[in-house]
Amino acid sequence: MIDHSLTIPPMVALVFHLKQGFWLYGWPMIIGFVTILGYQALGRVVMMGAAKWPAVFALASVVSMISLFGWVTMVRFIGMIPLYGCGVGLASAMMSRIYAVTMPIHPKLKMPIIRVIWRGDAEGIQKLQQALRARV
Amino acid sequence: MKLGLFLLLVSLALEAQGPVPRLAPDLKIVEASGKTTMLSAFRGRVVLFAFISTQCAHCQRASTVFEQLSHEFRDHLQVAEVAFDQDADTTAFTKRFGLSFPVGIGTSEVAHDFLGIARGERLGTPQVVVIDRSGVIRAQSERLGSPILQTYDYLRELLKALIKLQVTR
Repeated sequence: MIDHSLTIPPMVALVFHLKQGFWLYGWPMIIGFVTILGYQALGRVVMMGAAKWPAVFALASVVSMISLFGWVTMVRFIGMIPLYGCGVGLASAMMSRIYAVTMPIHPKLKMPIIRVIWRGDAEGIQKLQQALRARV
Repeated sequence: MKLGLFLLLVSLALEAQGPVPRLAPDLKIVEASGKTTMLSAFRGRVVLFAFISTQCAHCQRASTVFEQLSHEFRDHLQVAEVAFDQDADTTAFTKRFGLSFPVGIGTSEVAHDFLGIARGERLGTPQVVVIDRSGVIRAQSERLGSPILQTYDYLRELLKALIKLQVTR
């Protein structure tokens, strides 16, 4: 309760409420999203069987550390739970729509770039399958 | 209908706390050393006062903010705290956080009475109170705590407004 007859610049209160809003509502959603994104990416890398074990170990450690760090900074009040769930849901839904992630060499930059092939991208899927068949 | 009205009144009574602005009741701040100061002795300066628990992380963080503000507004501001947790070691607390303002020891009843909250009601700590130079409470935490009254930026602007107000009056 603050005496409203006092003239306090509204920007200070606005910045405070924006920061608080981010930490209470935005942050749990980000943590939920990043956790699922990280674990699903890890799962896919492991399932491929092509990555070397130190790389899998490092990736798994980093992903679990990020998620645990997020949980530690996140648990402040019960209202954060649905937002965390929302982040998890969004990441799961997004990952379910991904067909593959490739790293083709960029023709101009001459360096690998991440390319996501979505399930709805029939042309992209066909090209990928042709490239895989050609490799065999 | 009557039951609904009764429940509404009961819930309002439970939420009740002293209005702002209101004249600050007097309070005896007894430090661990035995030194006693009355809150009214600070009249003429803006007072940033808080009921704290020495074990609470928010109180510890807020205390360091108060210390910073006490240096920044050293000519106009008096900071004081009263710890009301059981077995509060205020000497260790002030030493650990490098506090230069008085930290007294009190009881939960004293805190409730000062804040205008019914005894036995759960309090969120710290309970921050900002008092102007004439001894009027101009800002007070909500019963379960107000994070905005623990932040440096907001308190700084609030104190500036109060100091300016007193000068122009």
